[in-house]
Amino acid sequence: MLRKTLAAGIALGALTAPALAADNTLVISVYGFAQDEFKELVYDPFEKICGCELVVETGNSVERLAKLEARKDDPEIDMAVMSTHDALAAARKGITQSIDVSKLSNYDKLYDIAKDPLGDHLGIGYTFYATSIAYRADKVKIESWADLFQDDLKGRVAFPNVTTNQGPPALYMLGKALGDDAPSLSAPITEVGKNKDDIVTFYVRSSQVAQLMQQEEILAAPIGRFAWGAYPKMGLDMAWATPKEGQTGGMNVMILTKGAKHEDLAYQFMDYWLSTEIQTKLAEALVDSPANAEVTVSDEVAANLTYGEETVKNLHLLPPAVILDNREAWLAEWNEKVGQ
Amino acid sequence: MFQNRAEALALALPAVVFAALVFLVPVCILLSEGFRMEGAWSLGAYWDFFANPLNQTVFWRTLKLGAMVTAVSAVIGYATAYAIVTLPPTARGRMIGLVVMPLMISPVARTYAWIVILGRTGFVNKIIVGLGLSDTPVRFLFTETAVFIGLLQLFLPLMILSLISALENMPRDAVPAARVLGANWFQVFVKVILPLTKEGLVIGGTLVFTGSLTAYITPAILGGSKVLMLETLLYQRVTVANDFASASIIAMILIVMSFSANLLLKRLATARNRR
Repeated sequence: MLRKTLAAGIALGALTAPALAADNTLVISVYGFAQDEFKELVYDPFEKICGCELVVETGNSVERLAKLEARKDDPEIDMAVMSTHDALAAARKGITQSIDVSKLSNYDKLYDIAKDPLGDHLGIGYTFYATSIAYRADKVKIESWADLFQDDLKGRVAFPNVTTNQGPPALYMLGKALGDDAPSLSAPITEVGKNKDDIVTFYVRSSQVAQLMQQEEILAAPIGRFAWGAYPKMGLDMAWATPKEGQTGGMNVMILTKGAKHEDLAYQFMDYWLSTEIQTKLAEALVDSPANAEVTVSDEVAANLTYGEETVKNLHLLPPAVILDNREAWLAEWNEKVGQ
Repeated sequence: MFQNRAEALALALPAVVFAALVFLVPVCILLSEGFRMEGAWSLGAYWDFFANPLNQTVFWRTLKLGAMVTAVSAVIGYATAYAIVTLPPTARGRMIGLVVMPLMISPVARTYAWIVILGRTGFVNKIIVGLGLSDTPVRFLFTETAVFIGLLQLFLPLMILSLISALENMPRDAVPAARVLGANWFQVFVKVILPLTKEGLVIGGTLVFTGSLTAYITPAILGGSKVLMLETLLYQRVTVANDFASASIIAMILIVMSFSANLLLKRLATARNRR
C-alpha cells in the first residue's frame, strides 16, 4: 500500500511540477533575426521584471503560421509577431483574438498607421520599414522605379522574387511608375517578364543582394531599409533612391493567440516592447525602426532606419488584405510571364 | 554467426522498429499527401503538377543537369582514378587525400567560393577578358552553367573514390595483357576496364546522380530562382505557399528518379556482362 501511495505521489508530483512552472512561462514566436540583441535588450530585462520565464520560438512567418494553426485548439504560443498579411491570414483562420488596447499603457504613443492596421485590433504594429532602390550613384541615376530597366542597368540589376516580402511592394511601385497600380500587379509583372533576361537574379534573401552589390555584379536593386546597414560600409558610392513615385515598405505586427494561456503576461510583454525605452534601444541597435512616435534617436541612427513621422506617413504600403487575396494570382501570373 | 535466425532477428528488432517509427511511417504519411485530393485517393495532384509548364521545365532541367553531371564526372573520374591507381603507394595516398579534401569543406563555403570565382570581377572573367575572348565579362552566375559547375565540383570526388576502389580490385595484369595482345587504349577501356569496374561506376553514378538531384545549397546559391531545380522548387512550395501536397509530389518524384537511376545503371552493367 505504502509503495503504491508513494508511486502515486511521485507520479502526481511529476505531472504537476511542469504545470506549475508553466504557469509562469510566456511563450512567444518571433522572427529569427537579431536574436542576440533581442535577448540582451528585451528578453532578459523582461524576465527580471515579470519574474517569469520567457520561451522564444523562432522561424519564418509561414512556418510559424503553420505551427499556430496546427495547435489552434490548444495553443502553446501566447503571442507572436509577423507581417501584416500573415497576421491577417492568422486572424481569418481564427487563430488570433482582438487585443484589448486599454491594457497597453504605451498604445497612444504609437504612430496612427501602427495602431490598428488589421481592424478590430487584431494586430498592433511594432516596427516598419521602407523599401526603395539601393544603387551605385557613380554609375547610374535612379529617379523613378521605372529606371530599374534603363539601358545602363541591363544585366546589372536584381529584383526581389514575387514570393518575398519585398516582391509585391516593389512591383506595386513599378506599377505606379508605369501608370497602372491595380492590385492585380499585372502591368508590372508583364514589364518584369519583358526584361527578365536583363535581370541578374530574382533574389529571395536580402543578404544575397548585399553580396552581389559588393562584388559589383549588380548596380541596383530594390531592398528593405532594414538591410541597408551593410551598404554604406562597402567602400562603394552607394545611395538610397527617393523615386518620384515614393517609397513602399512593410509593417510587422504583434498578435495575441486565441485561448492564450498566459494572456496577462502577453499583455505585459507587448506593452514593454512598445515602450519608449525598449523601442529606443532597438532603434539604437539598428534592429527595428520604432513604431513609438516618442522615440528620438541621433541623426546617424535615423539615417539607417525608417524613422520620423513624415517618412512613415509617406510610405505607400500595400494593404494586407490586398496581399492576402491576390498572392496566389500574383504567383500564377509571375510563373507564367517571368517563369524560371 | 548466430545459432538460430530468431536470435539474429531479435537483435535487429530495436533498430528496425526505430527506423520504421521515426523514418518509414512519417515518410509514408508525407508521401501519401500527394495521392489525396479533396479527401479522396487520386492521382489528380500528379496530373496537375505535370500539367504546369513551370514544373515541366524544372523537372526536365533537374533530370538533364543530373545526367550531365553524372556523365561528365564519369569521364573525368575514370581518367583521374586511373592516373591515381598507377602511382606508387605514398603518392597515391597523398592524391586520394587531395580528392577527399573538398568533401571536408562545407558545401556552403565551397559554393560561395564559386560566386567569387564566376562573378563579373572574378578569376574566370579576368582570364576571358584578359585573353580578349570577350570585350565584356560573361555572365555565369545564376545560369545553368554555374549550377552545373558547382554540382560537378561537389560530387566529382565521390565518383573518383568509387572508381579508385573498383580499379584497385582489377587484376593488375589485365591492362598490360590487353595492350600486348594489340588492343588500343579505347578497346582496353571498353573491353577490359569498363566491364571489370562497372560496380564502381554503378555506385559512383548513383551517388553523383542522386546527389545532384537532391542537392539544395548549390542550385539555391548559384542558380537562385532563375534556375529552379526540383529541390529548390520543393523548398519554395513549403516555405512560401505552405503547399505540402506539391512538396510531397516533388519528394516522391525525386525518390522515384533516384531508384530508377540506380536500377538503370545496374541493368546497363549486367547487360554488358552477359554479352
